[in-house]
Formats: sequence, C-alpha cells, structure tokens
Amino acid sequence: MRNVGIIGVGYTPVFVSKRKDVNLAEMVSESVEAVFRNTGLSPDDIDAITFGNMQTFEGVNLPHLLMSEHIRAVDKPIIRIATGGTTGMSTLQAAYYYVASGIYDVVLAVSWEKQSEGDSQVGLAGIVMPEAMVMVQHGMDLLGGRGMGGMGGGSTGAAAYQAMSYLHHSGADPEHIDKMAALERSNAALNPYAHLRKKTTVEDVQATPFISWPLRYGHTCPTSDGATACIVASEEKAAKLADKVAWIIGVGCCTSDPSTANFIEGQMTDPADQTVCKIAAKKAYEMAGIEDPAKEIDLAELYDGFAHQSLMWLEKLGLCKEGEAHKLLDRGVLNIDGDLPTNPSGGVFSTNAIGSSAMNRATECALQIMRKIEGEHQVPKTVKKALAHGWGGLFQYVTVMILSDTPRKI
Amino acid sequence: MAFQMGEETRQVQATWDVTTYNYKVDGRGIKLLADGMKDKKILGIRCHNCGTVYVPGPPFCRKCYIPIDEIAEVKDSGEVVSFAVEMADVRGNPLDEVRVSGMIKLDGSDTFINGRIQVDDWHDVHIGMRVKAVWVPEPQGNLSDIDHFEPI
Repeated sequence: MRNVGIIGVGYTPVFVSKRKDVNLAEMVSESVEAVFRNTGLSPDDIDAITFGNMQTFEGVNLPHLLMSEHIRAVDKPIIRIATGGTTGMSTLQAAYYYVASGIYDVVLAVSWEKQSEGDSQVGLAGIVMPEAMVMVQHGMDLLGGRGMGGMGGGSTGAAAYQAMSYLHHSGADPEHIDKMAALERSNAALNPYAHLRKKTTVEDVQATPFISWPLRYGHTCPTSDGATACIVASEEKAAKLADKVAWIIGVGCCTSDPSTANFIEGQMTDPADQTVCKIAAKKAYEMAGIEDPAKEIDLAELYDGFAHQSLMWLEKLGLCKEGEAHKLLDRGVLNIDGDLPTNPSGGVFSTNAIGSSAMNRATECALQIMRKIEGEHQVPKTVKKALAHGWGGLFQYVTVMILSDTPRKI
Repeated sequence: MAFQMGEETRQVQATWDVTTYNYKVDGRGIKLLADGMKDKKILGIRCHNCGTVYVPGPPFCRKCYIPIDEIAEVKDSGEVVSFAVEMADVRGNPLDEVRVSGMIKLDGSDTFINGRIQVDDWHDVHIGMRVKAVWVPEPQGNLSDIDHFEPI
C-alpha cells in the first residue's frame, strides 16, 4: 500500500447560512477553483474525482453527474459517496483508497452542502420513513407526547439523550457544555471560513434558551452553505507537485446497530456508548503506528454537531481517560494555545455545510500541519500528528483519519 | 451586443410531491407488541441462542444473525437509561409545560423504548431512576395504551 498525502485544500470564499448569489454547481465550483488556485495545479493533473453530499437534502439526486463540468470531471472517473454526517471524510477516505491502492496517483475529493436550498428535516425523516409510518399506524405519537415510542424534539431530542448520558457517566456538569461551546465559537471568530464568527463567553451561551435539557440553542450547530475541495497524491507525485504535504497515515471507520433510530425493533445502544468510535480509532492508530494517542496526537478536529460531543469524542478516541475531558477543558488544555488544541477551527458546531463538515476536520488538520491556515486560528505549537474525526449516520457511524508531517514508514 | 448575465442567480421553487412510496415492512414484532398491549402485556422476542430480548421483536437476532420467534413477556416497569427534558417543540417554540422523555429499559428486556415520564418536578428525574407504566383505562391494542411512565 502506497503513502498518500493531502497536497492542497480549497474552500468556498465563505460558509454562511444562505448563498443567494450562486446556485449549487456554481458554489461547488468555487471550492474546486480555489484548490487549483492554491496548488497551481490544473484539471489535467487529476486522475479521478470523489464527490460527497447528503442524499435528499437538496432534492437533487445525481449532483456529481449534473455538475461534472463545474467540478472539472469531464472525461474522468467519478464516484459519489453518501454516509450521512461523515460523508466528507468518507469522500476523502475514498480518494485515499484510490491512491493508496495504486489505481490512481492524484485524486480530487469534493464535498459540499447548500442547506438553504433544501430541507434537511425531510432528508432526516427519509432515513426511517417506513419504520416511522408503521409505528404511527400502531398508535405511536411521533412527537412523543404520550405512549411508547416517539422521538420528541427531533435530532436535538436524541442528542439530548446522548448529552445526558455522557454527563452522567463522565461526571461533567452542564456548565462544561457551555464552556466548550464558548471556546469553540471564540475559535471560529478567528477563522475566516467559519460560519458563526463571534467571540463568545460562557455567559453568552448561558443566555440562550434550552431546547431539550441539557442542550441549549447555544449548544447546537448552524446549517450552512459551503463546499470544500481537497487534492491527495501519491508520495512520488506529491514530491513533484507540492511544496508541503500533510500525510494521511491512518484511516478507520465503523458502524454499530442503528442505535436510537431502530424504534421498530428495539433500540440496543446508548447513543453515548460510541464503541464504534473506539473501534474506528483503534484501526487508524494501528495503521499510523500510534501506541499512546494521548501523548502522540498534537491537535484534534472533532465532529461536534452539539457542544457536549467534543468532550465525549476526546474520551472515546483515547485522547484522554474516560471522565477526564472536562478536566482538560478546565485546565485550558483544549485552548488554541493549549497542549491539545481541540477544534481550533470552531468545529462543526460553528460551521456545518453537512456534506463537507467531516472533510473540513481533515483539511483543517492538514492546513495546521502545513502551517497554511488562513486567518488567526493557526495553533502556536508545532503539529506533527493531528486527528480528524467524523460522526453521523444514525448516531452510530464514525470515521477517523490521522494526519502527519511525515509519511508512514512502509 | 454582448449577452448580459443577471446580477443574481434566480431562485425557483420546486415542491417534491410527485409520488407515494409503498414500503413493505416486517410488522410482526410491532403487531405482537401492540396486540398484547390490549391485555396490558408487553411482548417481545427472545433469541434462543444468546438470550437477548428485543422489544419490539425483530425477525432475526441482531447479534447472532439467526431467525428468532420465541415470544417473551417483559415487565411494564424499568429503569431510565437516559432522558431529555423538552423545553421547545420541533419548530423551536417554547413549550408551556416542559416534558420529560426517557429512554427506558423495561425489566426483562435488553433494548430501550422511549416514553414520556410524568413527574411533579423534572429536576427529580435521574439516570437509573425506576419507573413503571401508567396504562390508559381501556387499552385498545396500540402503542398509546401506555399513557406515560411514573416514578416507582
């Protein structure tokens, strides 16, 4: 298996709630043009394309073929990936598989979402439509007002179960969620590609109303419009094409049972259990030759649709012991200038063009390693190894990618 | 004369109302559960191999991957695995009265069901709390036959 590195990243000029000035294809093409501009490469250098966004969210079913010209894919192989919230990282992992296997040398990975043009609630409802309908036929109150079943509170409802379980088992307080939220939003204020860019205090977060205890509005991610393009290359090609490379030295992914979504056959897994995350991380660490992630990982970009999740993932990923993440937060370890900067970009919690959200975790790690961060959120410490994490599906699918300043020894 | 592009990409509306999906679902487990509720019984399926009890019951064991059909009755009492206190509806409007919903593991079951938990003060709810079902006066054989759960 060959070494593969990220040699360039391109974002849309902004990630915002509504891009009214461009259509879907025009928006995605901005990120592709940006990655060519940033790398000095051209479509002639690209052997194949991987492409990802959420199914159903915009109601356009073959976007990768519809916008083939906008993403410079004409006369080239292309594959579309859709794995839910993890889509962006799965798309990048697919590009990695292409190059690592030797099939292609240089691959462009593109991911995006333009949530303002679609309906994410329809997309989410479409996951379990037959199951929900048969439960309703049998008397389930879908909104959970009475009886058995029902979700109650939409995706925030299920996330609230997760947050409550996490707090209970970790010993963290609800105030730690406020604190993590304030830290990440303040990081986002430094990042020109973040959506919600406002320096935020714990008091600001605490002034927002609760949706579903223990989660407040100030603990939840926005819906964003934006796209990301990333070029990966083999070691041989990278030496010719790039001045700086962030090497992908470990990848992992894992699914569990459908967790909270399987109300027709009994829910089996506590949404805060996340054994899947441990399995995915173990695979990635083994590939990367990492024995003690808490010591060897310099920076983490974690998929946090809700602010409690950053703390939870740190524990599940082995970046600290279970029940210790909130203590690291209190000690300032997770700050941008701390020992383990966590989501210096502001995270998914501040910017969420869903299809691209998990890819952005990896591209932010890559840019931190290359020291090519635009804006003020470059961490002061030297980043040798960084961890990017994606989460989604039905609360139970996790992707992990380890990036490094040096390639794997093969 | 050169073609002039519009200053702003136009917005057009499209409503996705073109078909009705006709899904086949395996409704045996949910029918077993709903039918039993008429007699205030909660019925699931047990795996004869590993002993896992599912409520509602699936047609195959999700751990052993083998067909299962052994009916298992579980209690209408159980333990709160996690809970959330809904303070706004799905559209974000504040609720007049907050509503506690729990993930509840019924005694004898290995899976969770969701249910509303009725308490005077939501601050009293905690993970590990024991609760039992409060049935409607005249069960009809559907999932609303349990009105809510209350602390034991």
